[in-house]
Amino acid sequence: MTDFKTSDGDVNRAIRSWLREDRHEDVSRIAGALLDQVDTIPQRRATWWPARRTPTMNKIVGLGLAAAAVVAVVLIGSQLIGSPTNVGGPGIEPTPTPEPSPSVAAGLPEGPHLLLDQTEDGSDPVAITVTIAAPEWFGEPAEGFILSGESDADPPDGAGMIVFAAREYYVYGDPCTWSTTRPDTPATTVDELVDALANQALREASAPEDITVDGYAGKKIILHMADDVDFDACEPEFTLFGLPGDDRARYSQGAGQIEELWIVDVDGLIVVLDGNYYADTPQNAVDELRAILASATFELP
Amino acid sequence: MNTDLVTRAQGGDQEAFADLVYAVGDRFLAVSHRILSDIDLAEDATQQALLSVWQNLPQLRDPARFEAWSYRLLVRACYAEGRKSRRWAPNLRLLSVDEPMVADGTSAVVDRDQLERAFRRLSLNHRTVVVLHHYLDLPLDRVAEIVGAPLGTVGSRLHYATRQLRSALIADAQLTAREVAQ
Repeated sequence: MTDFKTSDGDVNRAIRSWLREDRHEDVSRIAGALLDQVDTIPQRRATWWPARRTPTMNKIVGLGLAAAAVVAVVLIGSQLIGSPTNVGGPGIEPTPTPEPSPSVAAGLPEGPHLLLDQTEDGSDPVAITVTIAAPEWFGEPAEGFILSGESDADPPDGAGMIVFAAREYYVYGDPCTWSTTRPDTPATTVDELVDALANQALREASAPEDITVDGYAGKKIILHMADDVDFDACEPEFTLFGLPGDDRARYSQGAGQIEELWIVDVDGLIVVLDGNYYADTPQNAVDELRAILASATFELP
Repeated sequence: MNTDLVTRAQGGDQEAFADLVYAVGDRFLAVSHRILSDIDLAEDATQQALLSVWQNLPQLRDPARFEAWSYRLLVRACYAEGRKSRRWAPNLRLLSVDEPMVADGTSAVVDRDQLERAFRRLSLNHRTVVVLHHYLDLPLDRVAEIVGAPLGTVGSRLHYATRQLRSALIADAQLTAREVAQ
């Protein structure tokens, strides 16, 4: 029994005393079933970029990317460096089958590489192909990722690329609290998407620039994540935007991330060519990344 | 918390994770039990939270921050379980927080049933703040970090919860007194 009067202090003491009564909680009641499940549940990667494989590694596991409308990636070569407005035409044939696993020592071949094949997707049909011409890029185009040199796509000096194609994008108001800042309505045009991204918390946006990729018009915007973002104080999977059916389509790599988004309207389908680097990323890697973005070609069934 | 254990579990070491489960599990269950006021829901929330810990551990940048990070997952799991359940039926008449307290200032006697009934009247958000602050002894800034709300909001929730508990407890005590008098 607790002697209770009328002050907040009395209430606090009563509550503390009550809360601290032993209620005999014992996690062993559930630990067995829990640990059995762990056997079958892979851990999610720290980022959506898989760690670079060693030559002896096999299939990449636990990419953490669900989704439907997403993904693919590639590498590039220095001779393809160019502006986003003079990008190649539709003549490149997509690679019909996945490329063999890359050798760490050799990097990926030039390609072309089929990064994303949604041609069987009734609502968002498109195939996206890119070319890689630089020797120090690694990745798994068939599995949708691309990594630069020795540092993967993570801070402080990595670089990488991913591709999305969908008709709706949900840009979270605040990536740190993404699950509670999902917009009621998605962005469905290039301008809406660029505007939503430019207004996202924790990231400074450049002025959008008009671009053309493979004959399709769009905009480029560069988003710079603040250097002092405390990821550990945020919700898990610090998430930038989601797609229909995939709330966590695009994670973030880390504080200071610079995301260069080339967004084009491919006959009503909004394609996001999503490049990623940092202030310390070597300029040649950034140039190579831009060349990969610029090499994208789109095929509609 | 043993950061070596956390680091090993981050790398996929299931034995290390099992040790982690036993190291934090009782406390997780105790916290969720108090937030949810239901042991079955608490076990479900704890299990879900620990699975989330396993799945998301590679994303924890600083193993030394495991405790706050993992409690954040636990709180989210509690919210998810709480939303699924509608087991908390109001069973007390609440006095307005501005209503005068017991007129003669005499003490009321509160037992654990009164406290439990009063506590269940609080929203999940309010209960969570009360448990993290009064049970885990966490300062409000750490509570704010865990629940993902501004410090001012957390302070407001705690203040509101305390007032509501006081009002509910007094109302209950008055009701009991009247029943005894009859």
